[in-house]
Amino acid sequence: MKYKDYYATLGVARDASADDIKKSYRKLARKYHPDVSKEKDAEEKFKEVQEAYETLKDAEKRAAYDQLGRYQPGEDFRPPPGWERQFRFEQGSFDDFDLADLFEHFGGGPFQGRGARGRRGGPGAGGFAMRGQDYEVTAHLTLEDLCRGAEVSLDLAAPEMTPDGAVRRVPKTVRVRVPKGATDGQRLRVPGKGGSGAGSGPAGDLYLNIALHPHPLYKVSGHDLYLELPVTPWEAVLGSEVEVPTLDGRVKVSVRPGSRPGQKLRLAGKGLPKPREGHGDLYCVLQIVTPSVLSEREKQLYVELGRISGFNPRGHLG
Amino acid sequence: MTEAMRPVMTTETVLLILDDESTVAFDEFLAASGLARDELAALVEFGVLETAGAPGTFSTRALVHARRAARLRDDFELNAAGMALALAYLERIDALEQRLRELECQLLGPA
Repeated sequence: MKYKDYYATLGVARDASADDIKKSYRKLARKYHPDVSKEKDAEEKFKEVQEAYETLKDAEKRAAYDQLGRYQPGEDFRPPPGWERQFRFEQGSFDDFDLADLFEHFGGGPFQGRGARGRRGGPGAGGFAMRGQDYEVTAHLTLEDLCRGAEVSLDLAAPEMTPDGAVRRVPKTVRVRVPKGATDGQRLRVPGKGGSGAGSGPAGDLYLNIALHPHPLYKVSGHDLYLELPVTPWEAVLGSEVEVPTLDGRVKVSVRPGSRPGQKLRLAGKGLPKPREGHGDLYCVLQIVTPSVLSEREKQLYVELGRISGFNPRGHLG
Repeated sequence: MTEAMRPVMTTETVLLILDDESTVAFDEFLAASGLARDELAALVEFGVLETAGAPGTFSTRALVHARRAARLRDDFELNAAGMALALAYLERIDALEQRLRELECQLLGPA
């Protein structure tokens, strides 16, 4: 079993009062809660903070944790002899255990998978029933994955209760298909593919969050795509036909005479596929690019243009 | 590796997208949300969770919000009013972030 320093995680001294532990937890929960935090790795940090607090907030668990001894974080250790008896810990082997699991069902309490937070048991007429843990994982997909749909392999490992009542960490790989129509930041679900329930409780659910890899050309908002389209000053002034890459090949678009930078050209239905029918749109955002290197002839023409043009963009500045 | 440690391969399953258009029945919604029945009723009363077209059903997107409420309840010891307030603000932030994303997409420069 690997050691974790719960006091360091919460940033409190080993002799901190229960009140100080609670205060520190609240502060860190506010900072890292994945529903409210924009901190990097917020979710991971929050889980660590929560795990530490679950053990240290309970006087009995805290005493048992203190009795484990002190090690370096990540160091392999075994509880001291007699520890199981002293703390009425009834599992057979420590080998498959994560420290969090050890305290999760400490003192013979009902098994509750980590993450199955605050689940209130069902009516339980026929005895003990606990819904299984929900799994929540993030899949990093490309734009192409979203267009075609993608198969994702998820490696899950969560404590599950075996028929003889022991708790084990059971790694499993679940292959899921993300249907086309999903987009960045969206959540998907498979009912019943989470952890097994205990007693007569049903299995939990599997949730997948979609995180999109940045694309070199397209920016994504919902099912719409945005493409920066550079044009020359004369293409913008005189109008022209230019080719743009779309998800299904190159198409020609008309830049109207007198176009301005930042203007959007909408290509209807050339965005990402939507779940049921239809597609989002592709917007080409015009960027007017000026040449940085000019030939003598080009320079002459610009000079002449400047001489004969009556155009004054600063007229309104007085 | 013990018998119990060997990964179990399961067959491929298609995920369902949680959005405004697909719905889930009341009992499944309640079980999956992690909320108690009275808490769900209170959040509906506060107007932060809405039933979908058919009576007793919710949109699957509402499930995302309900689960968020349950997590906030657990981690910040919120009551129903606190959950409703937090959900209302978070939904507003979601809408603002979506609008921000849309506007950022229109700015010139790298993504």
